[in-house]
Formats: sequence, C-alpha cells, structure tokens
Amino acid sequence: MPILQTENLVMTYHVGKVDVQALRGVNLSVEKGEFVSIMGHSGSGKSTLLHILGGLLKPTSGKVIVDGEDLAAVGDAQRTDIRRRKIGFVFQRFNLFPTLTAEGNLKLAEHIHGKEGNGNAELRREVLQLLKLENKMKHKPLELSGGEQQRVAIARAVINRPAIILADEPTGNLDSENSDIVLKMLVQLNRDLGQTIVMITHNPEAAGIARRKILMRDGQIVSN
Amino acid sequence: MDSLILANIRQRPTRTLVSVIGVALGVVLILVNTGLVRGMLNDRSRRERGVGAEIIFSRPGANDILSASGLTLDIRYAERIAKIQGVQVASPIGKYLQKGNAGLGFELVDGIDYPSYSAMSGIKIVDGGVFQADNEVIIDAFKARKSNAKVGSEIEVFGKKLKVAGIYSPESGARVKMSLSALQNYMGSPNKCSWIAVKCEDPAKQEEVQKRINAELPGNTVQLMRDLPSFERAIPGIDGFIKTILVLSTIVSSLVILLAMYTTITERTREIGILKSLGASKRFIIGVIEREAITISLIGVGVGLVAALIIGWGIRTATTLQVEFQWTWILVAALIGLAAGVGGSFYPAVRAANQDAVKALSYE
Repeated sequence: MPILQTENLVMTYHVGKVDVQALRGVNLSVEKGEFVSIMGHSGSGKSTLLHILGGLLKPTSGKVIVDGEDLAAVGDAQRTDIRRRKIGFVFQRFNLFPTLTAEGNLKLAEHIHGKEGNGNAELRREVLQLLKLENKMKHKPLELSGGEQQRVAIARAVINRPAIILADEPTGNLDSENSDIVLKMLVQLNRDLGQTIVMITHNPEAAGIARRKILMRDGQIVSN
Repeated sequence: MDSLILANIRQRPTRTLVSVIGVALGVVLILVNTGLVRGMLNDRSRRERGVGAEIIFSRPGANDILSASGLTLDIRYAERIAKIQGVQVASPIGKYLQKGNAGLGFELVDGIDYPSYSAMSGIKIVDGGVFQADNEVIIDAFKARKSNAKVGSEIEVFGKKLKVAGIYSPESGARVKMSLSALQNYMGSPNKCSWIAVKCEDPAKQEEVQKRINAELPGNTVQLMRDLPSFERAIPGIDGFIKTILVLSTIVSSLVILLAMYTTITERTREIGILKSLGASKRFIIGVIEREAITISLIGVGVGLVAALIIGWGIRTATTLQVEFQWTWILVAALIGLAAGVGGSFYPAVRAANQDAVKALSYE
C-alpha cells in the first residue's frame, strides 16, 4: 500500500474573476521508503502539489491519501493534525526560528508533535550524528552557515519520524558544496532510516539523486 | 514553548518595554488614584473622629461634618445646647475650604472656640501658644512638619499671610485652626458657625441626649457621629470616579498590548507560517501569543506595583496628601493588568492563528 497517493487532484485558484488551474488531475503514488524528486519549470504546479501533499492547501477536488488518511476529505484542524503527526517540511529558505538555538528549534518541533520533556533523546542523537550537527546545537541560526542551517531544518523535519518528508527546493539557497552535503544527507536519511522523501527542485543534478524522477508541466505529470 | 516565548520577549526589547510600560501605567493609575482617594478619606475620617464629639447639631438641610458648608448656624444655639441635661460640652465650629498647599487638592480651616474645643477633643498646645488675634492660627504637628512651619512662621489663609501662634497635638479636625470670631470676620458672618459639636457626659446615653436636643430645639438636624455616612458615601461621585479610573486603565493597558502584539504578529507572520508547517494547531498558536502577552503583563504588573509604591511615597513625602494602598486594590490592579494582556492580545492571536499557512510562509 502506498504511503502517499493522489487521485485526480485538481487545484484551481480564483484570481479576481479569472480561474487559474494549477493542477489538472494529478495522479501520484509514492511507496514507503521511496525518494522521489519532482521537477518542472516555474508555474508547472509542483509547489502547489507539495503544499497540497503537506496539507497546507486544500485541493479543489480529488484525493490526497497520506498513510491511510485523506487530507482532502477533512477540515483545516484535522489537516493540521495529520501534518503534525505524519509530515515533515524542509524549505528552500530553511525557515528556522531565529530567536531559538538549533536545539530549541528541534525541541519546539518535538513539543508541537506532543513529546513532553526531552523527547526521544536516542533518536535525536542518531539524527544529529547522521547530519553531523552534534556540536552546533547551542548555536542560533544566524551563527550557522547556510548548509548548517539547512541541516538543522532537515533534523527538525525528521526528528519526529514523520511518514513523509516534503522538501521544497532544499538546495535553492545553497552553494554547490553545501548543496552536495545536504543532498547526500537526504540520501543517507532515506537509506539509513528508511525515510520517505518527496523533493521538488529546479536543479536536474539535485533531482538525479532521487530513485524516481517525476516531471510536471502545466499542472500535470508528464513523465514518471 | 516557554523558550520560544522568552526568546521572543528578549528578541524585541523595545516592543517588550512599551508593552510593560502600558500595563504598568494602568496599574499605577489604579493604585495611585484609589490610594489617594482612600488615603485622603481615611485621614479626614480619623481627624474628624478626633474632634471627640458624639453628636453634631446643624441647620436643617445643612450638610454634615464631611463637608464645609459656610457659616449658617447661630452660635447662640451652643449656649442652649450646653444647658441640656447630659451634655458635657457644646462647641461651635466654623469651616472654611481653601485651595491646598502647592496647588494640590484642598485644605480645610476650622474656626473654633478654643476652650470648649480643647475640652471636647483633648488637643493641647505643644509649642507656642493659642491664637490671640485675627491674624493668628494654630496648626497640628503634621502640618508644621510638611510645611516646614514653626511658631512665628506665616501660612496663607484667605489669601493673607497669617502667623502661626502655636502647634497643637493630637490631630483633630482641620489641620489649621483660627478663632471662630476671626473666621466669622473673614467670612463676613458674625455670630455664625457651621455646626455645633456636642460631647455627652456619658457616651452610652448619647441617644437620650439626642432626643432631648431634638425636643428642645426642634426643626434642626441632630445626628449621632456614629450614624454619619462614611466619607466615601458622603462625597458624591467617588464611586463613579474610581470606576472611571478602572475602565480607563483597562482600556489604556489593553490598547497598548493590542497594538504591540498586533505589530508583533505582523513582524512574525513568517514564523507563524513555520509553526503551521510544523503542525501547530490554532489553539497552540493562540497559546504562544497569549502566554507571551501574559508574561509581559506580569512584568508590567510588577513594574506598576513598584512604581505606584514609589509614587505614593513621593506624594506622602512632598505633600500633605495621604496615599493608602489596600490589598484589595492591589489585587484588582494586578487582575486588570493581566486581563488587559489576555484581552488585548486575543484579537492579534486569533488573527495569527487564522493566517493562511502558504501566504505566511512566503511573507517577506
């Protein structure tokens, strides 16, 4: 059974009196433990698809089944709850809390997830070791390099062991050296922890590290 | 979550300071104003009790001892009352209300017949002597200390410089006293007084004495001191004044918190988007903002309490005004400060919680 599945997903934005179709019947299936990249030009609908897969947007029609639960069939509060339990996000701009240390950012994610106290210390140690962040935990984001910030963001996404990690252009703000490091770490997470990852990117080299590549154009999947 | 709240408070010191001042201002407004009202009324009440009378005799419709009502009563009533069975002393007293020293508040001046007043209240001259002329007054020790006055100094009454002939103790009635005849001359009301204070031979029989006075001199107002309304009830509008202060303080504090938190959530739109992407519920986001506002309000309440105590001490030290803080009002001020924090931040918190996650994440 796929861990992520969409059926005839349609998303229409209403811009004034004009309807803009961002997704035109997207059917996608991702198995547990897969690393999938989604490529496409600007306006192809890949960001909209990622936001719908993460429950940040509700589609106009169709189904989005994440680990057995249909995100399209529930209200905002339930979508938020499913996102809390099953989805981790990694963004292009890292999106860490600038006022918190790296450790504070991880603990906040654990707190929102519902873990009290120190959360799962063993898992945190394993993740930090994997992402080579053990010595960076007391630093605030501005004291870290871009690559380090993105690694903290990845650690935050994976710390609660979500069913899926959705990565939105994770190397878009990084130089090539840090991009390589971050991509290798995503591969490592996928391989060592069996973490399912769906990544959208413009970059063909980044997309190349995934086991499966999907190409989108004009709101449709044109190559899978 | 606590570390996020504390980090946000530390991260924006100016916003935090403005919010703290807003809440503290409300607390100060409540405590200083209620403290002043309470202090002044209690001080006046204590001193009026110090007159030593059990019964007050006045013209019908005239106000009681709680206010100055001019000289309207013929002083010959005092002689007639003194002859009634059970009366030990009947002392005519004139009242004059003038602007307070340093332009603050008001000040009462008593015109008294010193021998009968002294016999009734027990006041004694502790320095200097009793007034001998119309341009002489006696003052109590508190007034002497606060005005830096001593025997021979001059103080202003009726816009004239009058000489301090003596200092008396203990406190009783108005702090400045002159002879009743002098007061009558200044006010152009010869042989008149404001009311007559009556001391009974046996205080336990004051009701019988009251009946006898009523029977002997019908058509006048004869009140027992113990039945007089409290000062709070006697001064019209005092409740309204205090309620106005409470409402104003709540509005000021709430508005400051509202504006500060509104600005904050606008600045932090992106962070709210991040919280949403992490799966934070609306309740969680409202909780973060409310707890931040409550923390700021608690600091504001603490600062306000300390500031009110310092201001109260300053008023007591620099003026003759009295400020008395009550636990009840401290509690009310603290609760209002907290309520302002919770109430003022509620709208920004709900607004933050309802933000669109995708738009919030792309906010620049």
